[in-house]
Amino acid sequence: MEFTEAAVRRADNLAETRARVAQAMGPGAAVDAAGTIANFQRMVRIADGTGIPVDSYILERSGELPQRLGLTAYRSAANTFAASPAS
Amino acid sequence: MTTLTETAQFDYSAAPFPIPDRIRACHLRDWERLRSPGAWWTGAERVAIARQTRLAEDCALCRERAAALSPASVAGECSPDPLLPQAAVDAIHKLITDKSRLSEQWYGQVTTAEGMSEERYIELLGVLVHVFAVDELHRALELPLEPLPEPLAGRPSGYRPPGAAKDASWPPILLPEDADPNDLDIYQDFGGRRPANVVSALSLVPDNVRWLNDQFAAHYLSWTEMGEIDKRHRTLTRPQLELLATRVSALNECFY
Repeated sequence: MEFTEAAVRRADNLAETRARVAQAMGPGAAVDAAGTIANFQRMVRIADGTGIPVDSYILERSGELPQRLGLTAYRSAANTFAASPAS
Repeated sequence: MTTLTETAQFDYSAAPFPIPDRIRACHLRDWERLRSPGAWWTGAERVAIARQTRLAEDCALCRERAAALSPASVAGECSPDPLLPQAAVDAIHKLITDKSRLSEQWYGQVTTAEGMSEERYIELLGVLVHVFAVDELHRALELPLEPLPEPLAGRPSGYRPPGAAKDASWPPILLPEDADPNDLDIYQDFGGRRPANVVSALSLVPDNVRWLNDQFAAHYLSWTEMGEIDKRHRTLTRPQLELLATRVSALNECFY
């Protein structure tokens, strides 16, 4: 998780956190994590760049979880709720 | 950073970690797709989109706008590109640096600006996200960025899938039931079911979805592997991969 945060935030501890992943879980884990970071850095831009709503089957299963986690405060939540996001 | 090369290398022999063959092979295909004419942009214009995607990272104006309470309060234009409409350059920079403040109104302004259209915006977005993902993998592993490729000559096809229609997202999309037989392959892994919205989001340009499917499988998991919840396809387990994916989304404040 720290490696992911360092990569997305362009933080100075990128090499250190990546090395810790490799040491604890093997070099393949560091590459898997980098691939996952790259993949979802892409997916968030597709989602936010096209204004897609969350798929209905996911929303139905989520219940109140998005609100409890504060996710409905994100501006992009408006794409799902078609109104100003709840605070 | 803007050096062009006729032949992509993606030489990972000196990488600190072994890079799987599937990733290198995909990146070589990525660069071939990048430099080829698309449906709405030439190969040279697509490479220019990639160049601006990289330049956005260091754009001082974008940094100032991203930090402002209202980005519109910071006047100015990002550095122009001789091959792209200014609206395209500004859109690229915003998609990289300030994507959480995009809106349908912004989308409307971009797609009706001079030299732009919904089709051109969607292809631009497709090029941007796939180049950005390649670069992000390199940045995460602190590998040098691959030089951009020499563009191939040729004209854009001008292909818009005839069944594309407005649905729940800003741009029109192509759903499986409306797809021409030549485009059905883009959803072949979904068995006729409606794909997730993030998959169909770029389908106004079907080649975008082909690119998405290919790179998604190389960087993460194939759609088939995604459905095999109990199988382990990578060093990290599926829950570990999902946790990292969720963290990336949260850091980007992406509700989807």
